[in-house]
Parts: sequence; C-alpha cells; structure tokens
Amino acid sequence: MRKYAKVVSQEPVGAGVFLLRLEAPAVAAATSPGTFVMLRVSGGPEPLLARPFSVHGAEGDHLLILYQVVGRGTEMLSRVEPGRELACWGPLGNGFNLDCQRPLLVAGGMGVAPLWFAARAMAERGAEVSVLFGLAGAGGYSELLAVLQDQAEAGKISLSFTTEDGSLGEKGLVTHLMPQALERADRVLACGPPAMLKAVASLAAEAEVACQVSLEAPMACGVGACLGCVVPAVPGGGYLRVCQEGPVLGAARVDWERL
Amino acid sequence: MGTKVKTAVKVGSLELANPVLAASGTFGYGREFAKYLDLNRLGGVVTKGLSLEPRDGNPPPRIVETAAGMLNAIGLANVGAEVFLEEKLPFLAALDCKVVVNLYAEGIDQFAGLAERLRGAEGIDALEINVSCPNVKGGGVAFGVDPISVAAVTRAVRENSDLPVWVKLTPNVTDPVPIALAAQKAGAEALSLINTIMGMAIDARRRTPRLANVMGGLSGPAIKPVGLRMVHLVSRAVDIPVVGLGGIMTGEDAAEYLLAGATAVQVGTASFGDPSSCQRVADELAQFCAQEGVADVNELVGALKT
Repeated sequence: MRKYAKVVSQEPVGAGVFLLRLEAPAVAAATSPGTFVMLRVSGGPEPLLARPFSVHGAEGDHLLILYQVVGRGTEMLSRVEPGRELACWGPLGNGFNLDCQRPLLVAGGMGVAPLWFAARAMAERGAEVSVLFGLAGAGGYSELLAVLQDQAEAGKISLSFTTEDGSLGEKGLVTHLMPQALERADRVLACGPPAMLKAVASLAAEAEVACQVSLEAPMACGVGACLGCVVPAVPGGGYLRVCQEGPVLGAARVDWERL
Repeated sequence: MGTKVKTAVKVGSLELANPVLAASGTFGYGREFAKYLDLNRLGGVVTKGLSLEPRDGNPPPRIVETAAGMLNAIGLANVGAEVFLEEKLPFLAALDCKVVVNLYAEGIDQFAGLAERLRGAEGIDALEINVSCPNVKGGGVAFGVDPISVAAVTRAVRENSDLPVWVKLTPNVTDPVPIALAAQKAGAEALSLINTIMGMAIDARRRTPRLANVMGGLSGPAIKPVGLRMVHLVSRAVDIPVVGLGGIMTGEDAAEYLLAGATAVQVGTASFGDPSSCQRVADELAQFCAQEGVADVNELVGALKT
C-alpha cells in the first residue's frame, strides 16, 4: 500500500520557485484548498524524511504543487524529471472553510500557494474574492505574478500586491492594506510567515471578522503520530498538531504569544 | 518464491505472527497508520509511551532532521491512561497483531500505579517499560542508567500486572549488560533495545540549539551500528529474548538485528518517511529468507558467524 505520485512536469516560475504537476488521481479527487501532501524525493536515508507541501490546485487526475527551494529536500525535489515516481501521501489535514461571500485572502510569500487554490474555488462558487499578496520584492517572480494576474482576471478575483522594496504595488507590508479591505470582508484566510499571521489575526480580531490561518511546522510523518509539528494552543494551553488539527486553524485557537 | 517461509516467533510467552513490531512513539496508537498498511499483518504494535495522567509534552521545535537520522524531544506527550483505555485501546484490541503498551512514569510508585490502572484491560498483550524517563525522587537521573533502579521498576510493574513485562533499555550507558541482567533477574520477560541516543543539533548562524529542549534523542539509520552492537552484547549475556531496534529501514536491516541476536525487531523512524514501512519490512524480511534459503526466520536468530 505504498503510495506514489508520478511527476508529469516541473516548471521554474520564479527565483527558486517551481510549479510541480503530479499525476495522483486519488489525492487530486480528495483534496480541498488548505490540505497538504507529504512528498519524499529520496528512497534512501538522505534526506530521511518527507516534506509537507500545501496543495496549489487539482485539475482532473493532476495535483499542482507550488513551492520554493528552502533547503536540501526542496533542492532535490527541484531536480526531479517527468516520469519519476515520488512517495506521496495525502491529502492530509483540515482545509479552509470556503463558505463565505466576501472573503479576504492575505498571502505572504509562498503562502500564496494554498490561498490561490482557495481563491479560485471560492470565485467559482460566486464569492467576491479579494487577495492581498505581499512579497519582499517582485524581482525574479515576473512569470509567477503574470500567471496569477491572468488567472485573477479570468476568474474575477481582485488581486493587490505589496512589496517591501516597492517594486510592485504598494510599498510596505501586506497588513497595511488590511484595515480598508476588512471593511467589506466576511472572513479572512491567511497564509505566510508567523509574524505576518500574528498581525493578520490581530487586525481581523479587532475588526471582528472571522479568521483562519494556515500554519507551517517541521513535520516528520504528516499523519498525527510523531507529535513533532505542534503549535501552542488557547484556551487551556497545550498544543495542536499542525498535521491533524491544522494546518488550517481558527486564528483564535492559536496562542500567538507562545508561537 | 517456492515454499512459504515460517515467520512466527516467540518473545517470551508472546507469539508473534512475524518478528516485526511498530516501535513506541513512532506509530501513535496504530489507527494513524491504518490507511497505509494492513495492521493485521504486523507482528505487533507498541503504543506511544503512556503515563497515568495526560502530558502536553515539550514546546516546539521538537524535531530536527540530521544526517541519516532525526532528533526528537517530544517530551512524552500522550493522552493519559483513562483516554487510552476508553478511546485508543478498543481499536487496537480488535487487531490480529499483538498490542504492547509502553509505560512512562517518573517514580517507582507511579510505575506501579500505571500498571495497576491497566490491569485487566482487554486487548493488551504485554507491557514495555521505558526506563529512559527521569527518576524524580532519584534526582532526575534516568532509571535506565542504574541496574538497581531498573530492577526496582521492573519488579514494581510485575507485581502490579499479570502481563509479560518487557524493559526497553537505553543506549546512553557505558555498558548495557549489567542493566540487562538486572532487568532479567527482576522478572523481565524480554528486553527491547535500543532507545534513542542523546544528541544535539545547533544552528550556527543563529547560535541557537535547533530543539527548544536543547537536547533530544537521535534515531534513524545513523544509529543502526550502535543498536546492532548493543543487541549483540546483551543477547549473549542474557537468557531472555531481545527485541532489536534502531535504524531499521529494510528487511535486510531486520535480518541483521536477528543475526546479532534479536528474536524480534521494532521499526520506528522509518514509519515517518514511509508510513507503510512496518509491513514492507516484514514482507522484505520474508523475501530475504526465501532468497537465502532460510525456511524459518528463527534460523537467523543469533546466527552471526564470528
């Protein structure tokens, strides 16, 4: 019962950013925005563990993974050729609640990967979707940004950018655009670095808009056994497993002070 | 493959359909892996270390990958005896494979109390004592480094249970043999070894430890040579069966442990990188035997030529 996915294609779409297309019919059929898969490149001891990847999209039998090279595992993944079989299990975890009319999606960097899947799914259901996408700088990402802009236009998704270096959209952090955008929103979905998520959760709470965040954590198994991927919880303390109770959690369930 | 290889082994009074068990702490309460393998085809499942009361465990980061291995400092997070008996054990009890419950406590009395709490519960086939936990009354030093403490814990669990008692030995000692002999004398029916090896990982750029707990237990293929040596040493010194573990990724790794003197093996960290590992290792071990003309897996036990 070993589970595999076959690499259909892999395209560079930005600086160290790749769009991986896998043939994985069962996973593609069962996935929903916010869920993730475990992918393992090596068959041997180096690296020993699989890596968690949020799902960027599902098209028929195909599963799309958008990722950035951040270490050894992703570097090896970026070199796999079409036809190669990768150990792959999922979909895992809980996805976003898509049941809303005017969602505000806040993405930081590669946090856009799962949020874009959610944006397209919600726009298809007729929701008025706004996406705020914050990057350090737009340099090197022109291909990815062009694809997202085309898809936003075709899917009637409102897409705004912020960059810390001012190279695209408004200069500054993505949270600067939130106060105004929150006036119309009936739910916030966010994915990005922890500091950004903490700020997003705080702004959403002030505006009394429900907020879900997608979290990332070092993870060994993805199936709830290793207990490695925990984040601190409220109320009552303790911890939540990102792979089981998450990766999408209500922002109010996370103890942001201890994270 | 010709005639079918006989895979059943006996660990003390416990008969396993094959020598491969899932190791404690790497397999949850079994159910987590039900989608990825046929639990009925394993020799057994050793559950996540259980304490009398629930434990939250350590703050994150709790795990870090290292060369051919990983470090963990989970902190024995577990649901506690009551939830285990009510919510976790019924699923395990319905399986064909054997169920071994790993016990964690920070004092002799607590070990006795935990064994007593589990007494009579349907579906538990054996208890495995984790002696790597700190002995709070003994100054926080792990029980497992001292033969007298190991004997006392083993006796306390035995006196409060009708089940076979296994003792899981720590490798973080100069010589495991006196500790193994103490456990045997105190009534252990089998010895599991090795537990993780204490280690550390450092982020040189941030100048910080990579685990919030600073130190953790090393597991994975990196520790297999250490495990093989300790199984070799201990199995020659004791008269009770040894259950070997540490870095088993394949059926051939399992065969190496049997040759070193183990009667059965546990597969741990491999389950993280491939959730079907336990069943795959059991299948590969049977294939190994068939290829090598071994009709009964017991022929491998202690058959190392030196």
